[in-house]
Amino acid sequence: MLRNLFLFAAATAAVPAFAQADPSVSLASDVMVERTTVGPDGRTQVSLEEPSTVVPGDKLVFVLRYRNNGRQPAADFVVTNPLPAAVAFQGSNDGSAQLSVDGGRSWGAIGDLMVTEGDGTRRAARMEDVTHVRWTFAQPIPAGEAGRLMFRGVVR
Amino acid sequence: MSFTDISRFSGPKQTVGYALLLGVSSLAMVPEAALAAGTRAGTLIENTASATYDVGPTQISVDSNTNTVRVDELINAVVDWSDSADVMTLPGSTGQVLAFSVTNNGNGEESFSLSTISTLGGDDYDPTVTSIVIDDGDGIYEPGQDTVYIPGTNDPVLLPDASVTIFVLSTTPAGAGDGDRGGVQLIAASRTGTGAPGTSFSGRGEGGGDAVLGTTGGDGSDDGFYSVSAASVSLVKSASVLNQFGNANPIPGATVTYTIVATTTGSGSLANLAINDAVPTGTTYVPGSLRLGSTALTDAADADAGRFASNAITVSLGTVPGGQSRTVTFQVTIN
Repeated sequence: MLRNLFLFAAATAAVPAFAQADPSVSLASDVMVERTTVGPDGRTQVSLEEPSTVVPGDKLVFVLRYRNNGRQPAADFVVTNPLPAAVAFQGSNDGSAQLSVDGGRSWGAIGDLMVTEGDGTRRAARMEDVTHVRWTFAQPIPAGEAGRLMFRGVVR
Repeated sequence: MSFTDISRFSGPKQTVGYALLLGVSSLAMVPEAALAAGTRAGTLIENTASATYDVGPTQISVDSNTNTVRVDELINAVVDWSDSADVMTLPGSTGQVLAFSVTNNGNGEESFSLSTISTLGGDDYDPTVTSIVIDDGDGIYEPGQDTVYIPGTNDPVLLPDASVTIFVLSTTPAGAGDGDRGGVQLIAASRTGTGAPGTSFSGRGEGGGDAVLGTTGGDGSDDGFYSVSAASVSLVKSASVLNQFGNANPIPGATVTYTIVATTTGSGSLANLAINDAVPTGTTYVPGSLRLGSTALTDAADADAGRFASNAITVSLGTVPGGQSRTVTFQVTIN
């Protein structure tokens, strides 16, 4: 075991930082569209569907699934998702995400962020100003652990 | 699925470092931005997330797969009657103009066919639509400059959020009465298709995606109205005789005072109303005897309303609204 660890460290040391090669944590992205239908009994039904047909105003749910397939804990795990230009951010699943409205230069909760308008005036940021969403994990992801992150957007 | 339900999916067992700054604001649903046309049909929404993490001393970066969602075309036509009030018309008038705007509220370039219905309920008569005209862009009806619409030939093609002014020309039936209202409905229908909102036309959208009918079901319509504003005039002529003996016997030398009362009725007005009366045979006009009400008028063709020429009097009353009367008097002597 010790020998294996040593070999692993040697192998990774040979490649530059931010190497893409290591497969130990996988990250998968999914997009679904949220449909609201009113049934014959008048009750509203909400379902998530494959985004086969999507028009402006549709609500999208983005799901990021991660899994540590390696044998080592993955520390300082940070997931960043730039918002596609045509999507207006509508919130993350648990409110734990950090947000950026300036292309990822500064981060915070929406209430802490400011936007500079074209004419130089500054105003409080709104959800639709969000350009990036990020999750920073305080604890390492143990080997074999998996989880999901989620955020919502609306097609502009 | 509610927001609460979604939390079932959140499975990171790790403590998320940003929890201290967890804000309620990011959970609250913000009002959706005003979406007129929205993202152009055919736009690709591509989403890729990336992650970094450390294994031992090494920082590693991983990208997710890229999800690509194509924005489909939403078809929404909006028609608005744009005259500020009923368009006034007269019985039998032709080329009476109603103005409408047709707006593409969808997110793709779309062609619209135009049609009208004049047999609407709730009005008093049915205007006869003679043509539909596409404005040249200034919003003013100009025969010759604007283009007469021919279905299937010059259907307006509108970019997202673009609109065009459409004029509907009608004839008012001769039998329409004063105060009657007649409506015409203009309909703009997507050439891609119409039907129930939400109907999808596979592969028919701009940019290769589907076309989906929006809240208007692919066609929009609005009603515009004419209002008949007619007026008429009735003339009553009377005569009184006074002879040189102080009685009313019409003997030679007697003076006859003619009184013409013009009474207008109706909600409209009469333009260039003039009263003409020939001096009867066997009588001679008394110069300077012409009066409009109590105002004396000269016989010359000059600035005042009256004149005497060709052995007839003429009084020009100009435009007289309905519900008024004008009294003209003149005198003759019996030869």
